[in-house]
Amino acid sequence: MKFEEKIKTLETIISELESGNTSLDESINKYTKAMELVKECDKELKDVEEKISKIVLDNGKVEDFEAE
Amino acid sequence: MDNYQTITEFTRYLKLMFDTSSKMRNVYLKGEISNLKIHPTGHIYFSLKDEGSKIGAMMFSSNARNLNFKPEEGMKVLVSGRVSIYEATGNYQIYVSTMEEDGLGNLYLEFEKLKKKLKEEGLFSEEHKKDIPKYPKKIGVVTASTGAAIKDIISTIKRRYPIANIYLYSSLVQGEGAKEDIVRNIKRADKDSMDVLIVGRGGGSIEDLWPFNEEVVAHAIYDAATPIISAVGHEIDFTIADFVADKRAATPTAAAEMAVPNISDVIDTINNYKIRLNESINKLSKIKRLELDKLKDSYILKNPLIMYDNKKQNLINLTEKITSLMNYNINNTRISIDHIIEKLELINPLMVLKRGYSVTYLNDNIVNSIKNIKKDDTLKIKLSDGVVSTKVIGKE
Repeated sequence: MKFEEKIKTLETIISELESGNTSLDESINKYTKAMELVKECDKELKDVEEKISKIVLDNGKVEDFEAE
Repeated sequence: MDNYQTITEFTRYLKLMFDTSSKMRNVYLKGEISNLKIHPTGHIYFSLKDEGSKIGAMMFSSNARNLNFKPEEGMKVLVSGRVSIYEATGNYQIYVSTMEEDGLGNLYLEFEKLKKKLKEEGLFSEEHKKDIPKYPKKIGVVTASTGAAIKDIISTIKRRYPIANIYLYSSLVQGEGAKEDIVRNIKRADKDSMDVLIVGRGGGSIEDLWPFNEEVVAHAIYDAATPIISAVGHEIDFTIADFVADKRAATPTAAAEMAVPNISDVIDTINNYKIRLNESINKLSKIKRLELDKLKDSYILKNPLIMYDNKKQNLINLTEKITSLMNYNINNTRISIDHIIEKLELINPLMVLKRGYSVTYLNDNIVNSIKNIKKDDTLKIKLSDGVVSTKVIGKE
């Protein structure tokens, strides 16, 4: 799932849970799923390995790029 | 009357004034061609105008032959020549000796023309504009590999959203071959399915920015499936690319800010979600708990025996009914028995004795006729309350 979709799913689940209309079983499932998504999103945001800018060469090769 | 001149005399005088003035002999004008007529002999007649005024112009075929472009209506030109008066009409006009295109003026015209055309073709239509994804992972940049633009973009993205990857498609951005190169690179980036594409360059003269006003570039932007942010020049420069792009940024830095969110905002959002999730699930379980408690407290569950009360009552009622029915029957029976007893008593011989009658026995046989006894027989006479022994002393 893309990050955007995760965020969107989270928003949907939260508003469903906040409406209080979900059954207990369902809400527990949804909560569990949402918390997993939260964890995944959190991880994606915090796992900042140093991203190097790339240059896509004409032959399709990708090389590191540093702006002068 | 000698003070009065003929028109011809006066016009000739004026013409002489024009023709002898060095200022009039070397005139340089810039303006827009209108009312253009090219005579079969090769002479060119037209007007030069700007927003405020207008002057007639003609170019002899001997001069027109040297033109390196074809004059057109509306074209911006730079002309040099002499200004004189045409006697027959009395009009002054410029006799053009050289004429060249006014680069900047024509670029502007071309820009307006193309803008109008593309707008009519729907290239700027809002419905066609794609949303810029909120959290892109792959950001393509079509710009020069040197210069401020790429530097600004990289540093802005690294600062705001360091988890995104930046892919540079190094492109010519001005001069010969730039438009083709920009088109080619937009297509490459589109094929590599970037999440978002920034197309642009730093500020410059209108000629420098010109490739971004080219029709092919406009179509490449329009045709791309990737959302595109245009970032050409500084604030005041609008290009055709800006109108076609899904989003227009005033500068490359602004484009980078549009392309990515601020990571700390996103982290805040996620944390907020976590809090809301926990709150809502807690609230929900509390509600369910309350519902359960309410059920547990229900009267029937607390007093299950109450369910039997009705049945018990029925049973009691039935029992009572049966008992009373039985009693009624017994009473009836007793009454009839009493009747029978009464009747029986009525025919009981002993009862007759009670009324004063008696029974006479001889040797335990009842005497019912005088013939059965004789004098001196010992008889027993039974009364109601005892027996009398007696001797017959006579018969009557």
